Formats: sequence, C-alpha cells, structure tokens
Amino acid sequence: MSGPLLELRDVSRRFGAFVAVDGVDLDVAAGSIHAVIGPNGAGKSTLFRLITGILRPSEGSIRFSGEDITGRRTHAIARRGLGQSFQITSLFPRLTALENVQAAIVTRRRRASDFATWFHWSTGSEALDLLNRVGLTGGAATPAQALSHGDQRALEVAVALATRPRMLLLDEPTAGMSPFETERMVELVGRIRSEEELTVLFSEHDMDVVFGISDRVTVMAEGRVIADGPAQQVRDDEAVMAVYLGSDE
Amino acid sequence: MTTTSAGPRRALVVRSVVVPVVLVAALLLLGHTLSITNVLTLEEVLGLAVFAAATNLLLGYGGLVSFGQAAFYGSGAYLVGLSWLHHWMPFWAAFVLTPVAGGVIALAMGAIALRTRRLYFALLTLAFSELFFQLVNVRYDFTKGATGIFSVSMIPASLASPRTGYYFTAGVACVSLLILWKVTVSPFGLVLRATRENRERAEALGVSVYRHQLLAFVISGAFCSLAGALFVVWGQSTYPDLLNWTTSGQPLFMAVIGGMFAFLGPAVGALLYQFGYQYVTQHSHDWQLILGAALLLVVLFRPDGLAGVVSRQTWARLSRFARRAGRRGLPPEREPAAMETPIDGAGEAARVPGSPTP
Repeated sequence: MSGPLLELRDVSRRFGAFVAVDGVDLDVAAGSIHAVIGPNGAGKSTLFRLITGILRPSEGSIRFSGEDITGRRTHAIARRGLGQSFQITSLFPRLTALENVQAAIVTRRRRASDFATWFHWSTGSEALDLLNRVGLTGGAATPAQALSHGDQRALEVAVALATRPRMLLLDEPTAGMSPFETERMVELVGRIRSEEELTVLFSEHDMDVVFGISDRVTVMAEGRVIADGPAQQVRDDEAVMAVYLGSDE
Repeated sequence: MTTTSAGPRRALVVRSVVVPVVLVAALLLLGHTLSITNVLTLEEVLGLAVFAAATNLLLGYGGLVSFGQAAFYGSGAYLVGLSWLHHWMPFWAAFVLTPVAGGVIALAMGAIALRTRRLYFALLTLAFSELFFQLVNVRYDFTKGATGIFSVSMIPASLASPRTGYYFTAGVACVSLLILWKVTVSPFGLVLRATRENRERAEALGVSVYRHQLLAFVISGAFCSLAGALFVVWGQSTYPDLLNWTTSGQPLFMAVIGGMFAFLGPAVGALLYQFGYQYVTQHSHDWQLILGAALLLVVLFRPDGLAGVVSRQTWARLSRFARRAGRRGLPPEREPAAMETPIDGAGEAARVPGSPTP
C-alpha cells in the first residue's frame, strides 16, 4: 500500500474558546503499531473521538484508506473497517460476553436486520473462537457487567476484532489495570497484530507499554503534536522529556 | 469448545417447542372448561397480551418508553369500526389490513419521534397519539365522535359467539406472540438489546441505531394495531378512549408488573392486570389506588417484575440443588447460563461501576 492508512491533516476541535485539538497532522502507516501519548488533557481522547466520528472536527480533514471520512457518521466509519475500543469501558453491560461478540458479528455481516435466523446459531463458533483468543472462554455466559475490569477490556478487544477491522483504535487499553492485567493486554495486542496484520492506533499513559510494543510514537501536549517519529527516536527527544518530567510524572 | 453454547442452545430448542405447545394446550383447555364470563375476560387478556408484548419490544428490548402506543391500538380498532360504518370493506379485509395500517402510522410517527431521546421521545409519541384522539373526537360525522361505534354486526356472526370469538383471538394472539418472540431471538433482537444497552457502542460497531429503532417501532406498531382489532372482536365497539393516553399507559403497566425483561412477562402482566381489575372492581371502587400501590411496590422492590421473581427463585433453587448434588459426589448440574433468559441482571446495571449511563 502506498500512502498511509489513516491520514489527518490540520485537524482542530474547539469547545467554545477552548481548543482541545489544535492543528494535528498524523499519518498511520498500514501494518504498524502507532501510539499517541501525552499527559492528561493533551487531547488524545478528543482526537480519537474525532477519528471515529463521535465528534466532528472544527477544521481539517481525515482520510481513511484514501477516502475522506471527515464528518461522517460513526457507524459509516466503522463499516469502512475502523474498529475501536473506548477509554471508558464500553460494552453492552447486561448482555453476556458471548452476546456482546455476537452483536458485533451480526452487524459486520450486515445481518443486524435479519429476523429469519436465530442469533445463537447464525453466529456459530466464530463468537466462541474470538472469546477463546482473548482468553475469555470461561466467561462466555457471564453478563459483561459482572466480568472483572481486565476481562472487560479483553472482551472489548474481542468485540472490536469481531468487526474484522483493518485498523484497531484502542483508547488507553490498559487504563485502570493491574500490572498483571496490563501485561496480558500488551501480550494480546502484540499477538493480534502478528496474527491479523492489523494496524493498531492506541493512546496510552504507561510508558513501558508504549515503548514495548509501538513502531511509531506521536506525542501530544495541550492539543498539539510536539513530537512524532520511530519509538526509539521519540524516547530520546528533549521536548518529550520536558513534558513528562515537567508536568505529569 | 462447545460446552458453553450447547446448554443454552438446547434450552432454546426446548423453550421454542415446549412453551408454545403448553401454552396452546392450556388455552384450548381453558376455552372448554371456563365459564363464559371468564372466557370473555381471558379473550380480552389475550388481546391485551399482544398489545403489551408488542409494546415491550420497545420498552424492554429497545429501552424506548413510548407513550403513544394507543395511537396504534386505537387505529387498529377504528380501521375495523370505520370499515363497517362506511362500508369500505368486509371485516376480514379490514382485520388483515390493521397491522399494515399500524406499521405505516408507526413509520411516520417513529421517523420523527426517534430523532429525539428519552423524555422528548416520550412526549412526542404522546403528542402524536393525542392528535389522533382529538381528531376522532372532533370529526363526529366521520367517526361518531365521543359516542364511538357500537354494533354486534361489526364482526362476522361466526365470531359473535363467545367461545368461537375466544378461539379466534387465542389463535391470532398465539401466532402474534410467536412472531414477536422470534423477533427477539433473531439477530435483529440481539442488536436491538445492544442499542438499549449502549447506543454509542452500537453505532461504533456499524449499527444505524435510528434505522434499527425505527424498524422496531414499525413492528411494535403493527402488532399493537392488530391487538386493537382483537379488541373489536371482543368488545364489538370502538370509541375515542382507545386512543387516549390512559390506553398507552396500560401496556406499560402490564409490562412492568409482569416483567419487561422476560418475553412472556408482559403477557403475564396482562393476565394479572385484567383479572385483578375484575376482582378489585367487584369488591371496591379503588382500582386506581391499588394499581398505583402495586406499581410502586414493583418499581421499588422488583424492577424486573414478576418474571424476575420467578426466574431468580428458580435459579437459586437450582443452584442449591446443584451444590447438594455436588456434595453427594454426583456430577453437579450445569449452572443455568445467563443467556437462557432473553435479558438478565435487569435493574442491576445502575449499581455496577463501569456500566455506562445510557
């Protein structure tokens, strides 16, 4: 593939006088693991909400796979192959883990308006296989709200994978996790990438996670991109160190 | 691994065969044995059960509180009534057309109301149904206004005898409930529950929530309208109050009492509501007071209604039995999977941290 899979040009978002995202350029290469880091309030979550169409940019353009998706509705963007998981755990709480995945599968197959089949049958073994892959087989019949936090995040990844995305967007996948759960999530993301040849864009607080698995890192502060490049290079960047040493950690 | 899905699948097969067969057999038997008075009440209950189950497709499965269900119910009744009054078409043609008419009205109403959320949605649906109510009230020449349309000859002679009327209603109600149940276990039903649980997430999966809810609204409207036609079979009359907002409240009450998170909950609610009404009004004048108190108790202590009580007790008993069996060295019973009821853990979402507020 020639150009980047995801391409943001001069994207801004204002809330009244407050500029949450300020003229951001971002290129995510196909097949890469790309991290967006930055202190709290840097605009990472807003940026993700702009990419997924939950918010509309005040300015700028967003292209996915060469197609302009600026201002498109969320479900239209999702159908083009941009799967996502959210910073705030976002599942269907009273549906079982299995049903959460099944809902994603029937939607991907464009069978959401199908009345003729039974969803338990029509989703077959695919739903269980996905739960297996994220290590949730035992909890298939448990309502999502009753799972542990780590299991809920794993389930989110399963739901995102069920949409067979070309690109996976993970907003702080290890937020609120124990070290053990974090390790499990890191291992999972790495494994998914190698198995699926997926492109992964994620935001993260935990620097060990970021430099452990990313190919490329973009650093944001106060709504702007202050550094962008291969992981090693960004790690040694002075501006980045200033941001992290100065305010956040 | 298939063990996690084999149990629920078998349960689904068992339920989709056993429950309808038992239900139909019981209704046939009751039609033979009950007194005429009770047969008539049961006939009314069956019509209301369809009304409540169709409404609950929105309430329990879709999480949509519509206060305009009377618009469908009443227009179903009026389509049959007006067809007779103005000699538009024979009864059977009108009867078959009622779900179509209900669906069309629901499409128009839903297309506008579903652009809003929660309170505004409820108020818009209420406004629509009041519009119908006022129209029917005012246009005396066309609808007989507040007098309504009353005549035994509105329905064919074959349905006028109480027992045949009952069997006909029971047949239509069973088929309707079966179709509605099928909707809830289809991919459409699963995704509808998903939109109720987390609208934003469903959008992110690629679901057009507006379109999905509109489709649910149309299905609900179609069956509510059919229930209105069944009312005419029972009551041989139609009058403006069928379109009033108090009529919209009835299926909601029934669903809440019976349990909106189990498919047959609203039907059971209709049974309790109607027989409760009959019993209470024979002994006192305080039906509204008792209904209000009952609703208060259910909402405060059992938001999942009677069905929730039953399923929880059964669940607890089963797991106690399994534990005892386990201690005796027998293979323990598999825990009833949460999937076996259409929706579980009702009312708990609010208490669990991390569950998003819809």
